[in-house]
Amino acid sequence: MSCGLWRGLAVLACDLLERVLPADLKDWGSAVRLETAGIESDAAALRFAAGGLCGLLPLILAHHVRQMVLSFDRASSSAGMTVHPRAIGIACAIAAVGLGLGYLAMAGAPGRYLGVNAVALLLGLGMLVAIRRAGPTVRLWPGTTTLLLSVLLLATALGGARVDDAARWVNLGGLFIQPSLVLLPLMILDFARSTNRRSTWGMILTAAALALQPDRAMAGMLATGLALLAMMRPDDGHVSRALAGAIAGFATTLIQADRLSATPYVEKVFHAAFSLHAVAGMLVLAGAVLMLVPAMVGWARDQHNQEIYAVFAAIWGVALVAAALGNYPTPIVGYGGSGVIGYVLSLAMLPKALPARSMGKGTLGAETADDPTPLRLECIALA
Amino acid sequence: MGMTRTRTPSHQARIILAVLLEVPGAWRHGYELAQLAGVKSGTLYPLLIRLEGLGYLEAQWQPPVEAGRPPRHAYRLTAAGLRFAQANPPAPVTAGPLNPREVTI
Repeated sequence: MSCGLWRGLAVLACDLLERVLPADLKDWGSAVRLETAGIESDAAALRFAAGGLCGLLPLILAHHVRQMVLSFDRASSSAGMTVHPRAIGIACAIAAVGLGLGYLAMAGAPGRYLGVNAVALLLGLGMLVAIRRAGPTVRLWPGTTTLLLSVLLLATALGGARVDDAARWVNLGGLFIQPSLVLLPLMILDFARSTNRRSTWGMILTAAALALQPDRAMAGMLATGLALLAMMRPDDGHVSRALAGAIAGFATTLIQADRLSATPYVEKVFHAAFSLHAVAGMLVLAGAVLMLVPAMVGWARDQHNQEIYAVFAAIWGVALVAAALGNYPTPIVGYGGSGVIGYVLSLAMLPKALPARSMGKGTLGAETADDPTPLRLECIALA
Repeated sequence: MGMTRTRTPSHQARIILAVLLEVPGAWRHGYELAQLAGVKSGTLYPLLIRLEGLGYLEAQWQPPVEAGRPPRHAYRLTAAGLRFAQANPPAPVTAGPLNPREVTI
C-alpha cells in the first residue's frame, strides 16, 4: 500500500517538475521522469524524483522571476505605461508581509505576532506617505540626518536594551525595536544617492555602532552595500572611506562572540518553515524573492539608477542570507516589526516613476517631474 | 539558460566529471551517474544542466534497448569537457581531524 503511495508521489513529483520547468529545460524534466520510471524500488524512485524536483527548484524560480520581470517590462513599454518602482515595491511589501503572515499562521505563532507585523506594515506605509508630504517643506544640510541617525545607532549600542551582550534594541514603552534594521537600509541607499563629508562620517560612525552592538548581519549589510557602490564608483573618495570604516566594523563583529540564540518565528525562519511543511517553506521563499522584485524591475527599466537598484537588492539580499545562515531576524516574512518598517522606508529611496522607456531621462530626477518631493533622508527623520 | 561563466568546479562536479571520464565517449544515464558518483539527483541534474550549458556535456535521447521500455536521456563529455575533466580531477580524500565527540570516553 505504502509502496504504491511512494510510486504515486514519485510520479506526482515528476509531473510537477515537467509542468514548472521552462521550455528550454523540459527535456530534463522528461529525463528525470523516465529515469524514475526505470528505478525498481519505489522508495528510491521517490527519493530520485523528489531530489530532482528540489534540486531544480532554484533554477525554476529564477527563470520564472526573470520571465515575470521581462514580460512586465515588455508589456509596460509596448503599452507606453509608466513604471513605478516604488509602487511595485509597496505591492511587493504588502504581498510579502501577507505570505509571512501565512507562514506564521501555519507555524502556530501567537496571534499577537501576526498583529504586530500587520500593524508595522501600516505604520511603515504611513511613514512613507508622511515623508512625501513633509518633503517639500523640510530641508536640512545634505548628509546631516545620516550623521544624526548614526549617532542614534551609536547611542543604541551604548545604552540600548541588552540581550546576551548584544545591545541592538530600544525599548519604546514595552515594545522593542531594532533601530539598525529600521534605519540602516535607508541610510545606505541615501548615501548611494548622494555622498558628502557629513554622510561619509555618518557611515563610519554607523559602522562603529554596529561593531559595538555587535551585529554581524547589519555590519555585513553595510559593508556589502558600500563594497558594491565602491565597485561602481571607484573614484569616489567618500565611498572608499566609508567602505574602509564598514569593513573594519564588520571585521570587528566577526571577532566577537555572538551568543544570541534563535528566537522562534524571528530567526532561522527559512529552516523552520521548510522543516514544518514544503508549503510553509515556499511561502517564506516567495516572500523573500518578492522583496527583491522592485530592484529587478528597476534594473531592467532604468539604466541611470542601476546603482540604487543594485545596492537595494544587495542589502536586502544580505539581510536574507544572514537570516538563513545565522541567528538574525528574517525581514518581512518572519516576526518583527522593525524589518517590515525598514523595508517599506527603504522604498522611499527608489524612484517614484519612470516614464515608459525613458531609459535615461527618467531616473531619480524623474520623480521631480510628477513628484516634487525630493525624498531625501533629511525628511525621514522628521516623518 | 545563458550559463557561460566558467568557475572552479565543486567537489561533486569533479566526481561527476571523473565518472564521465572513466570511459570517454560512453553514454551514461542519470540514475547510473548518480549512483556511480554517489550524489543525489537534486545535485546531479543542476550540474548536468550547467555542464551542458558550458559546452562540456552532450545530451541525447536514446531509443529503448528493449521493446516496451521508454527512451532514455544519455550524457557524455564533449571534447572540451574531456579537457575540462582532465584538468579538474577530484581532490584526493584526506583523513579529516578527529571529532572530539567521537573519541570522548
